[in-house]
Amino acid sequence: MTFFKTIWFKCISCLLILMLFSGSSITILADLLYVSPEMRTARAIKKIYGEEKEYSVVLDVDSKDENKNTAIEYDGVGKINKIYNITDNGDILFQTTGYKGYKNGTITLWIKVVNTNEKYSIEKVLLEKYEKQTLMSKLSGEFYGGFKLTDVTEAYNDGSLFTATDKNAENYNPVSGATYSATAAANAVNCVIKYLGGER
Amino acid sequence: MKTDFKKIAKDGIISSNPTLKLVLGTCPTLALTTAAMNGIGMGLAVSFVLIFSNVIISLLRKAIPKEVRIPAFILIIATFVTIVRLALDYFLPDIYESMGLYLPLIVVNCIILARAESFASKNGVLASAADGLFMGIGFTLALTTMGAVREILGAGAIFGHKLWDFSIGFFSSSAGAFFTYAVFIAVFALITDKISEKSKLKKIKAEEKDFCGEIKENA
Repeated sequence: MTFFKTIWFKCISCLLILMLFSGSSITILADLLYVSPEMRTARAIKKIYGEEKEYSVVLDVDSKDENKNTAIEYDGVGKINKIYNITDNGDILFQTTGYKGYKNGTITLWIKVVNTNEKYSIEKVLLEKYEKQTLMSKLSGEFYGGFKLTDVTEAYNDGSLFTATDKNAENYNPVSGATYSATAAANAVNCVIKYLGGER
Repeated sequence: MKTDFKKIAKDGIISSNPTLKLVLGTCPTLALTTAAMNGIGMGLAVSFVLIFSNVIISLLRKAIPKEVRIPAFILIIATFVTIVRLALDYFLPDIYESMGLYLPLIVVNCIILARAESFASKNGVLASAADGLFMGIGFTLALTTMGAVREILGAGAIFGHKLWDFSIGFFSSSAGAFFTYAVFIAVFALITDKISEKSKLKKIKAEEKDFCGEIKENA
């Protein structure tokens, strides 16, 4: 019986009980407050358009449909995770992840593409999430505005992809002090240019 | 022992203000005060964790062996931080995103651990809850006013609403954060010193008056 009175037994049992209570309460709340991928998409659409919009799924890595849930990879550049067609105006909404960020991290963006008689233009770029990037606060709204493009197909045919490092490039969009993060963001946008250029 | 709520409130907001007097929780203070809304968000998140962790720690203060009190406190604090993260992501996603990395870092926030160790583990539940509440208010007020000043000067806006086109970029930078923090600490120290000097003078005068009254009575 003295075993149950030892200080180490009391310490271990106290921590175990606390862990049990803490773990179970977190598990219950995590289930109650779970934000599904659909909810995140609806939030992004509301942020982009200021209201909820109906959409059809072209590609969604979270989809259960096996024909639609494979990401489109562009080696060393990034990947397209989601493509939605906005029903009422014909816009295309992309969610892409750009590679080669700081410490080989990534940046995931939402990109709104307006389709005017098969002429595509990038209208809005919005940050969704990032990994390993420490200087994301340097990427201001002005930086994301720099990704606007009036003719995506023309840019693809000219080979003028976005870059944060090549000063001589046409679509040069740098951020002083956060070049790696800016490169990852540029790569995320370039995935859309490649996709609309025909690389699928 | 009767709880002196007035003293707890005064300590939390003025005499032991966690940000401007104790200089605790400096990391989120410097990093997140680029906008007033961030200050409110961080302040409320810390207040929630402070109140509830103080209450639980105070309730369990006799059951937790002192050898494992720090890991136990961190476990309790981490639970509430996780709850805040889940709730913010669900209900206020914009604030959740703006706080980024600093939200999980509340677990190791000195203010919360310091109050758990120095107050909640030695006092009753009500007093601990009040301490958490007023420390949280003190922290929120400091962060919000600092955020408002930096937002007005650094971005020419307040709570995201544009006031004018004029802005001084320095106040949005890290150096601007240190500068603003230093000015706030200096001004706060100046005001609190003046107030305490005045109250001391008032006390001395009252004592003198009593003393003179006693002499007159004796005479």
